[in-house]
Amino acid sequence: MLSSPFITTPTSVNQIMLRVLLALIPGIALYVWYFGPAILVSITLASITALATEAVMLKLRDRPIKPFLSDHSALLTAWLLALSIPPLAPWWLVVVGTAFAIVVAKHLYGGLGSNAFNPAMIGYAVLIISFPAHMTHWLTPHALGGIELDFAQQLSYIFHGTLPAGLTLDAVTMATPLDTLKTQLHLGLSVSEIRDMPIYGRLAGHGSEMVALGFAIGGLYLLFTRIISWHLPLVYLGTLFAVAGIFHVFDPTHYVTPLFHWFSGAAMIGAFFILTDPVTSPTTAKGKIIFAAGAALLTYLIRVFGGFPDGMAFATILMNICVPLIDLYTQPKVFGKKDGLL
Amino acid sequence: MRRIVRSTLQTAANLVFFAIIGTAILAATYGMTHEVIERTVEAEKLKLISQIVPPASYDNDILKDERHIEADALLGTTTQTVAHVARRKGEPVAVVLESIAPDGYAGKIALILAIRANGELAGVRVVSHKETPGLGDYIEIAKNPWITSFDGKSRNIWGDKEWQVKKDGGQFEHMAGATITPRAIVKAVNRSLLYFAAHRDELFAENIAATHAGGKP
Amino acid sequence: MNANEFKEIVHNGLWKQNPGLVQLLGLCPLLAISNSLVNAVSLGLATTLVMTLSSASIAPVRSYVPNEIRIPVFVLIIAVLVTVVQYLMNAYMYGLYVVLGIFIPLIVTNCIVLARAESFASKNPPLASALDGFMMGLGLTAVLAVLGGVRELIGKGTLLSGIDLALGDGAKDWVIHVIPDYHGFLLAILPPGAFIGLGLLIAGKNWLNLRAEAKARSNPAPLSNEAVQG
Repeated sequence: MLSSPFITTPTSVNQIMLRVLLALIPGIALYVWYFGPAILVSITLASITALATEAVMLKLRDRPIKPFLSDHSALLTAWLLALSIPPLAPWWLVVVGTAFAIVVAKHLYGGLGSNAFNPAMIGYAVLIISFPAHMTHWLTPHALGGIELDFAQQLSYIFHGTLPAGLTLDAVTMATPLDTLKTQLHLGLSVSEIRDMPIYGRLAGHGSEMVALGFAIGGLYLLFTRIISWHLPLVYLGTLFAVAGIFHVFDPTHYVTPLFHWFSGAAMIGAFFILTDPVTSPTTAKGKIIFAAGAALLTYLIRVFGGFPDGMAFATILMNICVPLIDLYTQPKVFGKKDGLL
Repeated sequence: MRRIVRSTLQTAANLVFFAIIGTAILAATYGMTHEVIERTVEAEKLKLISQIVPPASYDNDILKDERHIEADALLGTTTQTVAHVARRKGEPVAVVLESIAPDGYAGKIALILAIRANGELAGVRVVSHKETPGLGDYIEIAKNPWITSFDGKSRNIWGDKEWQVKKDGGQFEHMAGATITPRAIVKAVNRSLLYFAAHRDELFAENIAATHAGGKP
Repeated sequence: MNANEFKEIVHNGLWKQNPGLVQLLGLCPLLAISNSLVNAVSLGLATTLVMTLSSASIAPVRSYVPNEIRIPVFVLIIAVLVTVVQYLMNAYMYGLYVVLGIFIPLIVTNCIVLARAESFASKNPPLASALDGFMMGLGLTAVLAVLGGVRELIGKGTLLSGIDLALGDGAKDWVIHVIPDYHGFLLAILPPGAFIGLGLLIAGKNWLNLRAEAKARSNPAPLSNEAVQG
């Protein structure tokens, strides 16, 4: 990350990471407000696992432990991963995902600065492929007035897998707004009929739209303090809006509004916190624009026509693979050479 | 010129020689194995059928007692399929049908189901599917006993409302997070029962009559 | 074939030129079918059988085949042998035949088989060629076995599941449930698990090689040993 010549802010890695973590707080706070404190448990679990595996890997690789451990990059991976999996996920799921992200996606590729893929998104992909059933147990927001588990009951489910007598998982969890949209469209309902269901709010999913707004606020803070450049988030959201807009105008009974796409799933946290990982995104402005537009297009295609409800993670990973190529073609021409290629 | 022709012919003859030897070896192996292969394939088919129709419940040669069924929307089939009838002392015990659930999460799900003479299901099995591993694949008997929840069910008491998954107000269980797959199967089985009700007599007719019904011997 | 040649062929097939870890040939079946120990070893043994027989039958006829039609004749011989194996499996191991499916006929297109025919059997006497085919096949089988075993263990928590398909219903009890009550880690069984697993195996082999080299450098081995390695 420090090797990149395009970040000129004279702040150290750990300062930047600390501010990124800080910028996640509004979203997390709204998460707790709407869905309860279970998410804090998974964030804590992920953080402990990330720090432990990071330390072990640094030791195995004969790297100094303390300076690397205190750069907060492992913590950021842990938080992003924890925020993308259901809060009621069993403890081992969080541990396996985080450990995979740090050990395989980060250190086997050479550690911070050398990893080709965003570690948090690799962790997410591994989990959704390996444990699809557990990855669908999302909490119902308080406001819907359904049966709710108190904190002790949530802890008991996370650590022992036991629910209070008489309750089934179906009663206390629900599919995500994007998932519900997909399955109901599959059953032949129209967008407006689906949007009338109680799980939807003003823009997208009840509760989750506000969490997305929280991440957007944190993201804007990063944008204005110049920790991230505008290219990635704005081009990503702009492209997503444009593509979703075209489909929506063309056929509003089958395609939801662009705002729904903005405030559903991982679009907001992805635009400001995931795509902007400096290690796994292109270095030039032009490269960033191509990268973000491609990610937005893929997100939309996977969400609407693919097999998974959300496409942010896979879009990020697929575009991560393209970064070396994008960098190759967007690097400024070297003086005295006929073209920029070597 | 002559030399070129000669060497070409020699090369060709060489290749023909190897082709003849190869064909001879293949023919010999085929001759040695094809009877065993036929027997194995039949035995496998019988093994699948015996999972849903107990072999002790019938005494006819079920694989021989077959009739061809034209493609039908109720069965979800788009090509001709084969049905087998189990009989005991000449009386029909059950019919084994192939059916397809076209609307699985990841495409078609091929089913085999046995319906007893009284309209009750003897059993259902999934023959092939492409559902998500770990999520929708609990329809396989090897992974989960869910598919046996059809045993003994019929349309004699339950109507279209009961023939749905619990989430839609019906009687059939499903796993949290994976409703599309079981919904498709419940729908397909229900429709197959409707097909059975409409074609019961043709299905159970003796083979001679079936020639007329099915249009093919 | 003297003792040294024999040793070298064995060493090449199993370790130094291992098809799965060094030559990286025939990866399609290696990656696709290594999702359980039984599948992996079965396909490995079927490939070994084909490789031994094809090398053994190509070597004696090598001087009668004109150079221009060398490849078609080799492919013909390999295709015949694969089809014979396919008939036999269909007849006597039906369950396994269904599980391995398309990958049995695909042994024909497995480049390692043709590669050994072309680079070894077409230049060497029958006995050495047969040994080379057998050892290369065994090397591939060993990699398949380790990969299949690890993927099955991590993915399902068992070993030898599906053994009844190969050896009949009597073998059903042989399945070892190494980790009881296991949730299953699907990634290992699905295609990505094959790529990650093979990557780790190759890394592991390179690490062992490097360590052996470092050791050799710190205390030089006797000359005779070097000759065999070279």
